[in-house]
Formats: sequence, C-alpha cells, structure tokens
Amino acid sequence: MAKLDFSRRTFVQGGVGLTVANFLPGTTPFAHAATMEESTIAAAKAVGPAAVNGMIWSPYLVPMQPVIAEFSKQTNITIGGVQDISIFDAPQRAMAEALSRSAQFDFIHIDSNMIPSLASAGYLEPLDDYMKKANFKIDAVGDYGNFMTYGGNTYGIPTDGNVHIQYVRKDLIEDPDNKKRFADKFGQELKFPETWEENLRLQEFLMDPSKDLYGSGNLRNRANGVTWWYMIYYSAGGFPFDDDMKPTLNTPAGQYAVDLYLQDKKVNHPEANTWGTPQMIPRIANGHVVSCQYWDGTAKLNENAAKSKTTGKWVYGLVPGSDFSGKRIHRSISSPLAAILINKYSPRKAQAAYMALWLGSGKNSIPIVTDAVNTFHDPWAKEHMASPLVQKAYSPGGVKAIEKNFQVVSPPIYLTGFLEFQDALGKNLSEAYVGQLPAKDVLSKTENEWNAIIGRIGRNKLKSDLKSYKAVMPKRLVPA
Amino acid sequence: MAMTKSRRRRITMIIRYAVLSVWALIAFFPIYWIVSTSFKIDTQWFAWPPFYFPNPPTFSNYMNVWFGAEEYTSTQYAISSQKPLISLWNSTVIATCSTFLAVLFGSIIAYGVSRYRVLSDLRMFQLLMLRMIPPIVIVAPLSLYYTAVGLIDTRTGLILVYFLTTLPYAVWMTKSFIDEVPREVEQAAEILGASRWRTVFEIVLPLIRSGLVATFLFILILTWSEYLLALIITKTNVATLPIELSKYQGSTEGRVYGRQAALAVGITIPLMIVGVIIRKHLARGFSFGMVRR
Amino acid sequence: MAVAAAPAAGLPPPPARVVSRRRAIRLFKISLLSPLIVMFALVLMPALLLQLYFSFHQWTVYLGTWWDAEFVGLDLFQEVLTDPRFGWAIVRSLLFATGSTIGCFVFGFLLAYLMYEPFRGNAVYYIIFILPMLTVPVVVAYTAEMMLYQSGPINDILSRLSGTEFKPAWLSDPNIALATVGLLEIWNWTPFSFIIMLAGLSAIPKEPIEAAEILGASKWRIFWEVQLPLLRPVILLALVLRFLEAMAEFPKTWALFQGGPGSATETLPIYIFMTTWQYFQISKGAAMSYIVMLMMIVIVLLAIRLLRREKQSLDKMYEQPSKAEG
Repeated sequence: MAKLDFSRRTFVQGGVGLTVANFLPGTTPFAHAATMEESTIAAAKAVGPAAVNGMIWSPYLVPMQPVIAEFSKQTNITIGGVQDISIFDAPQRAMAEALSRSAQFDFIHIDSNMIPSLASAGYLEPLDDYMKKANFKIDAVGDYGNFMTYGGNTYGIPTDGNVHIQYVRKDLIEDPDNKKRFADKFGQELKFPETWEENLRLQEFLMDPSKDLYGSGNLRNRANGVTWWYMIYYSAGGFPFDDDMKPTLNTPAGQYAVDLYLQDKKVNHPEANTWGTPQMIPRIANGHVVSCQYWDGTAKLNENAAKSKTTGKWVYGLVPGSDFSGKRIHRSISSPLAAILINKYSPRKAQAAYMALWLGSGKNSIPIVTDAVNTFHDPWAKEHMASPLVQKAYSPGGVKAIEKNFQVVSPPIYLTGFLEFQDALGKNLSEAYVGQLPAKDVLSKTENEWNAIIGRIGRNKLKSDLKSYKAVMPKRLVPA
Repeated sequence: MAMTKSRRRRITMIIRYAVLSVWALIAFFPIYWIVSTSFKIDTQWFAWPPFYFPNPPTFSNYMNVWFGAEEYTSTQYAISSQKPLISLWNSTVIATCSTFLAVLFGSIIAYGVSRYRVLSDLRMFQLLMLRMIPPIVIVAPLSLYYTAVGLIDTRTGLILVYFLTTLPYAVWMTKSFIDEVPREVEQAAEILGASRWRTVFEIVLPLIRSGLVATFLFILILTWSEYLLALIITKTNVATLPIELSKYQGSTEGRVYGRQAALAVGITIPLMIVGVIIRKHLARGFSFGMVRR
Repeated sequence: MAVAAAPAAGLPPPPARVVSRRRAIRLFKISLLSPLIVMFALVLMPALLLQLYFSFHQWTVYLGTWWDAEFVGLDLFQEVLTDPRFGWAIVRSLLFATGSTIGCFVFGFLLAYLMYEPFRGNAVYYIIFILPMLTVPVVVAYTAEMMLYQSGPINDILSRLSGTEFKPAWLSDPNIALATVGLLEIWNWTPFSFIIMLAGLSAIPKEPIEAAEILGASKWRIFWEVQLPLLRPVILLALVLRFLEAMAEFPKTWALFQGGPGSATETLPIYIFMTTWQYFQISKGAAMSYIVMLMMIVIVLLAIRLLRREKQSLDKMYEQPSKAEG
C-alpha cells in the first residue's frame, strides 16, 4: 500500500498525464492484452444489445451522457427510460421498488449505504461475476472500495466519492490582524484546526454576523445533519453497536458528540436547522462561511470563478479529529455515496451491469468527475487523483485533502434498516438542535427507538450484517 | 341628521375599501412574487435586500425549464433532462379524462338522485364524506395493488382514482343544476315515448350545458393540482406537473427559485384562467345544497 | 326502498303499466349505480382489504414477501396507540385543522360581509380574492419558501411597515413552523369560506332585514338576530368541510417542511407517510391508517348529522311557502 502511495505521489508531482495513468495499479501493467475498459466492452457485446431503464438524478446523468454514448456506440446498449429523482429521495423510491419486486428499473443510482437494506429485500444482483468476466477492479483510494460489499458480495459500482473534507477560509486565518488578535486572546497561533474543539473556537472567533459571515456552514437539518454527527462520534472512538447488536450510543463518546454537534448552533446561521445543501452551498461559495466540513464537490464549485466569490480563498484539509478516546482519531464520512446498483429482477441486468462497469472505470470517469456545470460527481479513484484535469478542477490542495480524507472515510450505519436507524437518530438530533428535546435525552431516546427496530428486523440477522459494517470502517486512526 | 348619515355611509365605504384592499394585497402579493421571480436573473432570487422588481427582466428561466434550451443549461444550474412538456401533456390527459368521466357519471347519478331519489339524503352526504377521508390512509396498499395489476405508473391508474375521488363533487354540483330544470320538460318527453336514457342525454344534460362546463372546470382544478396520489402512483412514465415541480426542490448548488417559479407559473396560470371563467359557479361547487337562490 | 315496499300493503294490484314503469325505474336506478359500484369494487376495495390484512400482519420488508407476513393479532394497533409520536401527530393535526379552519372562516366571513351588497369594483375584488384558491398547493409551498426566509420580502415589508426590526424565522423556528403552514392554509383556502359565505349572505331574503330596519334595529342587531341565524347551515358547512380538508393537508407541509424543524410539523398525514414510505413499516402504517380512518369516520358521521339536520330544516323552510302558494 505504502509503495503504491509513493508511486501515485510521484506521478502527481511529475504531472504525468492521462495515458500513463492508465497503467496504474488495478490493471496488469505489462503482461496484458486488453485494458479493463476493452474487456468490459467485450463482455458487454457478448450479452447483446438492450435499452436499459434506470432511476438516476439528472445532475448526475447529464455529465455521464457522453461516456454512455461511447459505450452505446460500441455495444448497442443504450439508456431507455429514466426516472429523474433526487439522490435524497431515491432511497425511499428504491425501497418501494424492492418491496413490490418490480422489474421496471434495470439499474438504480443511489446512496450505497442502501446496499444492506436492498440486498436483504432481495432486490440486488451481485456484481462479482460480471467484474470477473470484464476483468474489472474498483480502483478506489483508501478502503473506499469496501463500501460496495455486503455479506461478501460486491453490489455496487461507485460513481461519486462524496467524501467530507475540511474547508477553512485562507484569507481569514492568514490575515495578520486576525492572527494577532487570536494570539492575544488565546496565546496560540491562528491556524488550520486539527480537532473539533479547535475548529469551534476558530469559527466562533472569526464569525461576524453583522457582515453576514457565520462561523460554520455545516448542515444541521433533519435529513442531513446526522452525517456530521457520525464524524464526531467515530472520531471520539465510538461505534453505535456492540457485538451483540445492543446500541452503544448512550456512552460518554456519544454524549460528547451530541454536545459538540449542538454547539454548532452558536456559530451557524440561525436558519441552518432547516437548510439543506441548496441553501448552504451558495453561502459557502459566496463567502458567508468561515469553516466547515462539506462534500468535496463544493471545492470544485469554490474554485470555479464563474460561480464562486471565494476562488483561491480556501485551505482544504483533513476534517477535525478528537482526542476524546485518549488517542487522536480522525474520521471523515461519505454519505450519500452515489453508486450504481443492479436490479436482480431485471431481464436486462447483464447489460446494465456492464454499463455500470464502464462508467466505474477510473479512466472513463475522469470527464464525469470534472464536469464544471453539473458538479455532483466527486473523484474517488486512484486515477482521478493523478489526473491533471481533476487537479485543475479541485485545485491541487483540494485533491490532496480528498485523498487524505479518503484514508479515514467511514460510512453511516451500514446495516439492513439504514433508513430507519438513521432517521430516528437524525430526528432526535434535530429536535435537540431546535430545542424541543434536552441534549441528555437524545441518545437514550434514540436507543429505545433503535431497540424496536432491532426487534423488528431481527437481532441475528443484524448481527451477521455487523461483520460487513465493521469491514467498511477505516482501520487507520489518522491518514498515513 | 341627514348629514351624519351620509357621512357615516362614507366612512363605512372607506373602511370597506380599505379592508378589502389590504386583503387584496395579501392575496395577490405571493402570486405577484412568483411571477416576478420567474423573470429575475439568478442573483436576484435570494438577495438581501430583496428585489421587488426583476431588473432586467429575463426569459431565461422559461427557456431553460420549458424548453431545456442549451445556451441556458451550459452556463449555470442545469436541470435539463426534466421534461415539463411531457408532464404538461400527462397532466392534461389525466386531468381532462378523469374529470370528463366524473362529470359524465356524476351528472347521470345526479339526475337519478334529483328525479328518483336513487340516493337518499343520507347517502348523498356519505358520498360526500367519502371524499373527506384523507387519501394518505389508502395510498400504500393502493400502490401495491396497482403494481400487482399493472396499473402503477400508468395514466389509466391515476385517471381511475381521480375519477372516484372527485365523483362526489360532480354528483353534488350537477345535482344543483338539474334541480333547477323544470320536470315538465322531461314528462313531456316521457309521454312522447323517449326512454329514460334518451331523456337524460338528449333533454336534461343539454339544458344544463353551462352547468356541466362549470362542473367540469371545477373538478379540473382539483385533479390538476393533486399531489399525494400522483407522488406515489407515478414513476417514470406519467409524472404530472406538480410532481415535476417538486423535483426542483432538492436541486443543489443554489436555490433554483427562478426556474421553479417559471414552472410554477406555467402550472398555475391555466387554473387561474379556468377559475376566473367559472367564478360565478364556484359557490355551487362548494355549497352542497346549503344555499338556495 | 319506500317505493318498492308500497305495493305490498294489501292494496289492489296496480295496473300493468304502472308495474312495468316501476320496474323500468328500478332497472334505471341499478344501471345508474352499478358502474360506480363496479369501479369501487375493482379499484378501492382491494386496497382497503390489503390495508386490513397489513394491519394484522407484521410485514418486515427486509425479511420476506408480503403474503407470508406473520399474523400478530392486535399488536400493531397496540403499538400505534402507545406510540407518543402518533399522539403528538394527532394533537398537531387537530391544532392545525382547528386553527386554520377558524382563520379561514373569520377572514372569509369578514370579506363576504363587506362584499355581499353590490358596490363599485365588486367584481375586481372578487376575482383577486379567489386567486389563492386556484394556486396549486405545491406552488404555494415553494412560493412560501421564496418569500419567508428570514431576510426575505415578507419580513422586509413587515419591518418597514412597523418601523422595527421584525425578523421571525418562519421556516426554521420550531415554535412557529406549524403556524406558518397554518397561515399558508388560511391564505390558500380563505377564498373557499369567502365564496360560500358570500353565496349564503346574498341568498338571505331581503324582507326580514328590511322589516327589522323599519323597526329601527341597529345593523349590529340585525346581523346577530336576523342574518346569523339564517346563515347557520352555510357556516356549519364552511367549518366542517374546511376542518376535514385541513386534517388531510399534505402537499404544503411535506414540500415545505417534511415534518421538521425537529418534529414541529409532523402531522398525521406526514407521520403516516414517513412510517410507510421512509421507514417501510407498512404494517404499522396500515394500523395507523385504520385508526385515523375510524377517527375521521366518527368526525364525519357527526358532521353528516349536523349538516343533514340543517339541510332538512332548510328544505322545510323553503317547501312551506311553495305549498302555501300551491
């Protein structure tokens, strides 16, 4: 692993272009006859032409279209009907598909954390055989490729990294006046924050609501806020279940995470409790935010001078960590992680699967993750990190931050019933954030609700799921 | 004495105009806001202080949303693969077909009620109240059942439920028109030997033609704007306009208010025109025999 | 029924023509209603039965198909009835429905009262007043989002008018959120009450009012003692229908809040929707649906009784003069 990292870094530094990047790990560099892409085409041709239907959100589909067109040209496998639905609504619609065992969609483009639920409901086709036939490997940075596996099978092909990185306004932390005031007040240097506490202090110090500048740009709404909580909780050494599938939220680590999560209220915009990405991203890009953790795609927006007022004004880096467990741990998160999953009931599943493999090759997906208008897909493959196009779109600092965070990237609850578990937690956190629920009751209330869910789904079933969940968790405490 | 009386009348008049005008502003402002937003450029959608007038006005929102015009999608927020024109067609077909069925069956039943008391007063109210049970309590099994019989995501499926749920309104409203038709006309027809069906179609319904149009448009308003059933029962093939609009909600990168507004204007204007046309009859649609004229 | 039972009562057999006419009428009645009954049996009945099945069978969607769900008796009903979230949802729905119904009625009545006598500009006001009702509910929700953010036009206007900084967070303050939906509902549906009340007020016969005026009664007394009693049926109708519709309100609440902030706007339809379509507890959702259906049926039956009584007395009132004339 270390060796690979080294070779990648040399490529990056040398600015080696696309053609060389094709021969990076994942394919067999010298003794091969066909590239991964070529064998995907060959396998796809063998299953015959078809028009495949899918559920995918148009901002994701649009940049894919030229890449799909190339595939269609070579294989006669095309896109038929598409249900255009937002990535946040897709999980519910996909579950509805699964429980009616519908064959209407051949593929769905969805948060990969839905894999356990959808696979348990019998909806998903394992992709390992197709991958073998096409000589395909998921060439992901860090342990990110594990996110696609459940119960020993691979069920998804990622198209979007969507890892959280840390954003801090460079102009503000490098401002000599700010630096001096900070040093005078705290006796410490004003610099990029390494822990949650440092981050909060920095946010509080630099914010100025009278200029519409708020400390934080983190989401705290009911649907998304919980994603931020996991990072704090995991970095405090927490894990939501013990080996017997008993919830372990209501622990010191859990309460620590809740308290930090709620302190965001001091530094965030007063309307943040209902804001989602549509409201928050423009605030980040237009310079109303000091520091936050956010999906990495926002870096691409920030660095796009046509759309952003903060181009060049950011430092990107590792999300804050915590010393709570006695050791410094950093945990980033990737959710929703958009991936293509294949419907087991579909008569065109082979065609859809090969199209997914085609889209999931590092080389093919470079134009997708660098699209300047539809900034939804974010880089995830090793090839992306070396690509000059990606470097240009995300800025070299951005790419470095993405790589770093990928090494400690973790999932939300990767179990059957993900939506139920997550919503119970999200709802209680949201109630606490708006003041409807005392902070100390959040975790005990959530545990009670979780126990009901565990009872319904079955403890033994979830215990076997737990293995997959643990396999997806990162092993390093901090990035190498 | 006379002085004070006319003065008092003037004061009441002023108060009346003042109160009515205030409410007219309240009623009209949101509608103004959505129309004006649809003509604003993106920096003015969500600005502080707010822009009360689009400056300069632009058609780009309409071009982008309704026609997916490339020049507007490549520069900024692109949501081009959504297909409002197809949804417009779906909405039109679904709303008109279900409304037509509701008015057709509704008027025949209304005739039966008016002339032969096919449904007692109690049954008539029960029919009305059937409509008042929240649709949410039935959508889940309905969608499973629809999947099983292949009606999910089809126009027929939506038309059937819309027909059934609007029928009570159709019966009540057409009945109020039929009640006003003097019985002598039909009796004459009957004596001449016309069958009851012929009497209905050739004598009674033509007599209440304008009433049928009013009923039709009234129910069209209900079916056109229905959201929950359409949300659950449609997937790729037959999304209606309110569903199309709700897709803009989750769009990231920025509040795409201008685009949303441009679509919303297109959804709402037809209804407003329809409503203004039948404004005199709206009271009938809602009063269920409680108002005599 | 009454028609069919009449011939049996020992009367001489009616002439053949009358019998055939009666039979024809009965046939006519059946043919009128049968398509409706068939449609109902084919479309809604299976769904209702399926719902009943689910409310007694625990179907965990990850474990198997719905037809081999486990029979659990009344467990699901017990679960729903002991669920505090369900209780709160009922409370919120009742609050929302009551508040918005009263609001719609007060404004609708006020406007109708100011407009039922003809005056210059009457028609223009009428058209403007009915526009909110003709706005698609989802559009209302998104328009509200465009206008109600904290530094949005509504707060701007209110601040300018009041001369003070007036900045309620309409959309993100959990104490206000439900009221915000309520205000939207009032804006959206005041036209409904207005139209009904206007029709009611215009239909009141002039004679009693004129008589009272001649006797020197004040406008206030005429309103309370003559107009209001005559309007009772219409008022009841406006209240009952509005209340029932408000209990079922979904599009605005969902499009704007999805139950948040916190759970401030989690009304019955929202909670049922989330239980069914977000947590996929289809069975619990079914049990909830049946409870809500029963609750609504009770309310509806009460409403029917009220409305029928009013309608009968109204019918009587209008029948008498025509009889006197005949």
